[in-house]
Amino acid sequence: MSAPLLEARGLAVSRGRRPVLQAVDLTLRAGEALAVVGPNGAGKSTLVRALGGLLPPSAGEVLVLGRALADWSGDALGRALALVASEDQGPDALAVEDRVRLGRYPHRGPFRSWTREDGEAVSRALAQAGIEHLRRRALGTLSAGERQLAALARGLAQEPRILLLDEPAAHLDIGHQLRLFRVLDDVRAAGVGVLAVAHDLPRAAAWATRMVLVAGGRVAAQGGPDEVLAGEACASAFQVKVRGHRLADVPHPLYWFEEEPR
Amino acid sequence: MSELGRRRAAFAALGAALPLALLLASAAGTVWLPLGDLLGSIAAAAGLRHASPLTAAGETILWTVRLPRVLLAALVGGGLAVVGATLQSVFRNPMADAGLLGVGSGAAMGAVLAVRLGWAADVFLALPLSAFAGAMAAALAVYALGQAGGRGSVYGLLLTGLAVSALASAGTSVLLVATEEFRVKTVLFWLAGGLEGRGWTHLQSGGLLVLAGVAMLGLLARPLDLLSLGEEEAGALGLPVHATRLGLLGLAALVAGAATSVAGSVPFVGLMAPHALRRLVGPLGRHLLPASFLAGALLVVLADVASRTVSPSMDLPLGALTAFVGAPYFLLALRGSEGRA
Repeated sequence: MSAPLLEARGLAVSRGRRPVLQAVDLTLRAGEALAVVGPNGAGKSTLVRALGGLLPPSAGEVLVLGRALADWSGDALGRALALVASEDQGPDALAVEDRVRLGRYPHRGPFRSWTREDGEAVSRALAQAGIEHLRRRALGTLSAGERQLAALARGLAQEPRILLLDEPAAHLDIGHQLRLFRVLDDVRAAGVGVLAVAHDLPRAAAWATRMVLVAGGRVAAQGGPDEVLAGEACASAFQVKVRGHRLADVPHPLYWFEEEPR
Repeated sequence: MSELGRRRAAFAALGAALPLALLLASAAGTVWLPLGDLLGSIAAAAGLRHASPLTAAGETILWTVRLPRVLLAALVGGGLAVVGATLQSVFRNPMADAGLLGVGSGAAMGAVLAVRLGWAADVFLALPLSAFAGAMAAALAVYALGQAGGRGSVYGLLLTGLAVSALASAGTSVLLVATEEFRVKTVLFWLAGGLEGRGWTHLQSGGLLVLAGVAMLGLLARPLDLLSLGEEEAGALGLPVHATRLGLLGLAALVAGAATSVAGSVPFVGLMAPHALRRLVGPLGRHLLPASFLAGALLVVLADVASRTVSPSMDLPLGALTAFVGAPYFLLALRGSEGRA
């Protein structure tokens, strides 16, 4: 097996004095699609931010391409790893293309001029995200789903080896969701490791090659997606009963959830 | 019109209007200098012709009174507009302005303090540096207090700005009461804002500082764009967010302080120019900063002409004139932005 692109060892993170994550071990390899699932407040977003270097660990460490996060400079990290959060806060007047161009900052810094390579990366990112036609539209005129795709395109323009996403499908309708996950499949086919926090369990299970269940700030289960969803840890984390059904002509099990208060 | 066309038209209009305004402002005043003679005098100074067509008195008026004042008006206006554009991106709020964040009041208090203590008359650059210190202290206070208790929200920062601003104004009032009578007029001048009696020395002290600060802010246009995406995304793109913010705030305070030290408080220029231009040239720093500089310069040059010519008997306060235009603009813009963060 190839060396992991991203690895967390005994990772603990606190926000203020409150410990949010404890003893998290996790790896992401090239071409892998890793879904992080868990109930609200379990620490998923904190995990993504800690993996992306935005929050410092209070214990343990994160290795990016085998090197500890602390040893990475900001721009070098921005070329190796892209993080796309679910809320796009870009100014309303900013054009989609200009927003995606800012994804080239880790390659350019404050002073290097624009190159043909930068231009090609941006065009590719816009095309991959399927938003070329929105190129010159201002962010303020887009739907929430379109803005989300523009934020994703910014991450793609970084040309990272690791792509971290926090609820990338949060605002997307079903058509856009399917397109998004197809884009992520294209990206990882090129050898990028993709980790996404997802709320929609069946969709996450259909997309992911592996799944990590986070509950109460710890990794409660990890493995094949269908295995994780069917497990006791999942039922107990969400306080639901999970039933999966295989149908002959559908590639993934269909899931049915029932409330199960304890 | 296309986006590119709009931007080009805006730059062309500003680029044409500013020289015209500078020329007009040099000609207008209690004594009108004919435009042809004025251009002739400038050509003579540049060695393009033998003698100036202006009378000796006209020469004096143009070269020792009007030109430095007009150029200073342009630098003050341009500088304040660039500060406004910077603060709007740093605080991610299109309504941010040196005045609203306490930076202007801090600068005024620094300047007044320097006058009160008599440094201003005795020490070279004491005035702009005191104003800068006041502006920087206000900016740091707003930044630090707004950050306290976790992530600083935009509204928290703006409200903190109001509080710091009120505190600085209160300090200024106390200083005003405690100032000897012969200095009160000088102090009042800072509160009202104006360019009366400004000359080449002011251009060399405050003007050069403004220019230097603006140039450095221009070099940081790209980090400024990243900050406008929000702290998290800027950080994810490798920007050292806190250091960059502090550096930008420091430069903004330097420019605001230098501008205030020579012109007193000239409110709303920093809000109006970038706010009006953002829609025309887009929010990217490399377009917005130069466009704001041109528009701010135009605005203050014209306001200064009005302050000299509207009333035949006295100069109206420049700061009052920009407030007469700026306050209604602010209210209209506020209505326009209702319901949006």
